[in-house]
Amino acid sequence: MTSRQRVMAALRREPVDRTPVCNPTSVATVELMDLVGAPFPDANRNPEMMARLAATSYTELEFDSVMPVFSIIQESSALGCKMQWEQKDNWPTVRMQEPIWVEPDDIKIPPDFLTHPDMKCVLDAIRILRKEYGNEVAIIGKTMGPWTLGYHCFGVEPFLLMSLDDPGKTKLCLDRMKEATIQFGLAQIEAGADALTLPDHATGDLVSGEYYKRFLLDLHIEFAERLPAALILHICGKTLDRMDYIAQTGMAAFHYDSKNPPSEAMSIVGNRISLVGNINNPETLFSKGPENVREEVYRNLEARVHLVGPECAIPLQTSIENLKEISRSVKDWHKDHSTSN
Amino acid sequence: MDLHFHDVSIALYRQESELGSALLVHTYSSIEGAQQRIAAVTGTMATLGEMDRIGEPACQLRFSCGAQHHLASKRLFLEACKLPPEGVVQPRPLSIFDKKSRANVTVSSLGNGVYQLGTDGESEVASKRCSAITGGLVKLGEMEAVGGSENRIAFPCGHPHDRLVGLLLVRALNVRGAQREQEMAAARGQLVAPSAQKQ
Repeated sequence: MTSRQRVMAALRREPVDRTPVCNPTSVATVELMDLVGAPFPDANRNPEMMARLAATSYTELEFDSVMPVFSIIQESSALGCKMQWEQKDNWPTVRMQEPIWVEPDDIKIPPDFLTHPDMKCVLDAIRILRKEYGNEVAIIGKTMGPWTLGYHCFGVEPFLLMSLDDPGKTKLCLDRMKEATIQFGLAQIEAGADALTLPDHATGDLVSGEYYKRFLLDLHIEFAERLPAALILHICGKTLDRMDYIAQTGMAAFHYDSKNPPSEAMSIVGNRISLVGNINNPETLFSKGPENVREEVYRNLEARVHLVGPECAIPLQTSIENLKEISRSVKDWHKDHSTSN
Repeated sequence: MDLHFHDVSIALYRQESELGSALLVHTYSSIEGAQQRIAAVTGTMATLGEMDRIGEPACQLRFSCGAQHHLASKRLFLEACKLPPEGVVQPRPLSIFDKKSRANVTVSSLGNGVYQLGTDGESEVASKRCSAITGGLVKLGEMEAVGGSENRIAFPCGHPHDRLVGLLLVRALNVRGAQREQEMAAARGQLVAPSAQKQ
């Protein structure tokens, strides 16, 4: 199987020759930036650099997928949020203390939303990758969900307080913001993306499983119906309490955090949705060595997780050696198991 | 990130071979001058930490005792990267002036990796500071307190590392600051969910 075939089959829960290695968020690191001369912040705003850095996932780390949208801010920049682009060794962020919207009627998706330079950059990078790698490797795009856009555009605290004080108004906001998710998702599919990651930060620390059901479940079902590509939902933190709901969305996969034990997560979702993740970032990939990475990879493989990879966008100072160990250990595990079987 | 050389990333890698464990300073950057900068950082570490250069072309580093001294070598690497490339590298002395106690703190090597800290200040503050600095060295160098004597510490390897102690002594004056610096460096570059970002 090619890497692309392997990833796409795993997203459909079909048989694969080995478990694919995939990070639906980002594998950009400062070492990879140096290797290909594509540093942040330029690699978030220049399509050639973006594509070059994304390709290292396949060419250097031997992952089965590439993901050019490293950050979570491209749409928010196009919507008019104030940005902090930072330097090479840090992530660009939205200045959420300076929100751009207060009321549902403030929500406007600009007519030039998809042609804004930070959106066009992503679309062009996907086209470059498709042209360069054809059908070899799975190209994954990213479109942010309305809950995350709500944090960025309304501010975290005002948005959460609104959800408590006026659930109806919050739903109206989410409904209006979802069009940004759809528009950007469709544009990326048209540009050549095989699958889309859909991060929607209803994270375990602030938002309960019931909250997820009340505000997001129906919207996520709608995304799965309206976006004609495999969708990979990403939510950080402890999410076991909502995995049953997530499995009902019709999305292809759920990118999940290391705070959720793989075997428990698998027993909840069963064969209804694929799981991808959940190698720990701050403690294992960033701070420990290859042998610890291998242990975690094996734990996921033994739980029969469908696609293995880091739990989220990896820390920018993670060593290449640790990242390479993920695909090495996946291959070794399958070799050992095919021999023993 | 190397502030003295085009912000390239430089990392310290541990390598295992039949000769044992060694450290390698490495960059993935191929810009002109990068390898010379790596050689310079390696040389600075060898001088400041009294490490042996091994391999061909002598790009790996190892302590003569064979121990890894994990935290101390990490600190040594950070200090070597901070130094401007044009400066002359000199090993740090085993004595330092402590502003807080207005006294000199001196470390004496007693052999077999055992060190005794002392101060020329006679006040209670000076005595407390000497104990605090001893504690700082223990933390930064993963050293052990030697029982039966105040302010006496040792490397578990049982070998002396005078230059390494001299290097760590500078940071042991403000060990919390040194640890905070390391924590901040570790937190930088971690992507957190919007709800967890400091606003």
